[in-house]
Amino acid sequence: MTALRDELLDLIADEALVDRAKLTPQATLTDVGLDSVGVVSVVFAVEERYGIEIAEDALRDVTDLEGFLASIEDVIATGKAA
Amino acid sequence: MVRRRIVVTGLGAVSGLGADVKANFAAALAGEGAIRRRSFDPGPEGPEAYEMPAALVEGDLVAPLETALGRRIGASLDPFALFALASAQEALAQAGLIGHAALERRTALVLGHGFAGIHTLEASYLRYFGRKSARMHPLTVPKVMVSAPASAVAMSFGIRGPVFAVSSACASSGHAIAQGAGFIATGACDLAVVGGSEAIATPGCLKAWDGLQAMSPTACRPFSAGRDGMAIGEGGAVLVLEELEHARARGAAILAECAGVGLSSDAFHWTQPSLEGAVSAMTAALAAADLGPKARLLVSTHGTGTLLNDRNEAAALHAVLGDAVVDTPIIATKSAHGHLIGATAALQAVLALEALRSGKAPPILNHLGRDPECDLDLVLGEPRDIFAEAALVNAFAFGGLNASLAFRRWE
Repeated sequence: MTALRDELLDLIADEALVDRAKLTPQATLTDVGLDSVGVVSVVFAVEERYGIEIAEDALRDVTDLEGFLASIEDVIATGKAA
Repeated sequence: MVRRRIVVTGLGAVSGLGADVKANFAAALAGEGAIRRRSFDPGPEGPEAYEMPAALVEGDLVAPLETALGRRIGASLDPFALFALASAQEALAQAGLIGHAALERRTALVLGHGFAGIHTLEASYLRYFGRKSARMHPLTVPKVMVSAPASAVAMSFGIRGPVFAVSSACASSGHAIAQGAGFIATGACDLAVVGGSEAIATPGCLKAWDGLQAMSPTACRPFSAGRDGMAIGEGGAVLVLEELEHARARGAAILAECAGVGLSSDAFHWTQPSLEGAVSAMTAALAAADLGPKARLLVSTHGTGTLLNDRNEAAALHAVLGDAVVDTPIIATKSAHGHLIGATAALQAVLALEALRSGKAPPILNHLGRDPECDLDLVLGEPRDIFAEAALVNAFAFGGLNASLAFRRWE
């Protein structure tokens, strides 16, 4: 696991108030207890931590944790490159 | 009607002095104050960073609380709610009430705060106005609202009676204790979880306090010659109040009696205290507790270290106690934990009860010398052995709102 992914999982566990061990890549956002408020909370925490802005539609089609993480990592990589 | 007696069966506290009651009282007795010069940085969008003395909570409260509660807290609470929850957890555990069916009915929960979720509000405004981000965090409102700590505590422990917050600036938790005691006295409740919390040590909020010209550039020196103002602290404190027979019936250990409260308003000035308001609150508390002129008292003063408060409070103590003032031990623990604003009355009540129970009064710190206008029997230098039967705790707020609380030692 990359250091970035490790940080993101910590952050999701803190924002969604879930056990870190439940955060497997296959889990759906519903499985890990991420409702719409939880998703936005994670987005805010990521924006604060990495100093980036995540567009509202960037996570629109995401349903599982793997997709969620990949999308966020993508924005962080793009943000840092820019 | 037979008077319902109210006793204290649980205490909890978090401040710069420590994360529980034991650590707070031990540090206060040892004279290990928590006020230090701290740097406050408004960030790249703001003016320059500045320094100010303050007493801040150290260490992680979230992980131990998550273990105790068996669920995640994460980043869901503003520090002012976290301080209240940690204090309530300790107090309810000591009272043997965690998971107790009594919390589900006839239990009140009243918490006092002078401010609200300042950390959350300041961060969200910095983002919105400073960085011009168009969105707000979806939990901003529930984290900022002044009743958030009460809701967090109620949800965590299943308290289902009257639950709400009260506010009277620096007397807020004094009014909360009075309100909870009132629910028991009238027979509406048998238990009341009461106290307060505050977390205002942010660059913006402390700059606002600095604007009042009441902040010390050095340290808090209550009743001392050369005192130059107050120092901000943060934290929370909670007491479990219980009707005496209810406590006896379930075999709870009784720590003290909550014997009387006295509330008054100066109706005078935003920042200047009045003699009449302070005298009125103290007199009412002592009368309600049946503590006459011969009572052996310990007084935990409001003692902020400002020129005006301390002079006024000393004059009020002379007026209320008369000749007895010369041998009434006076403590001022803000010199150790700073001014916790809405939480200060509850924290001072907790420390005063520990002093009553142990027979040891903590010393006033940072003393430079005697002020003839504050001619009191100050506890200085070392902890003092005391033989008090009761403690009087004062909280006098900006805007002239006063609360005095009288607690009797339980034999």
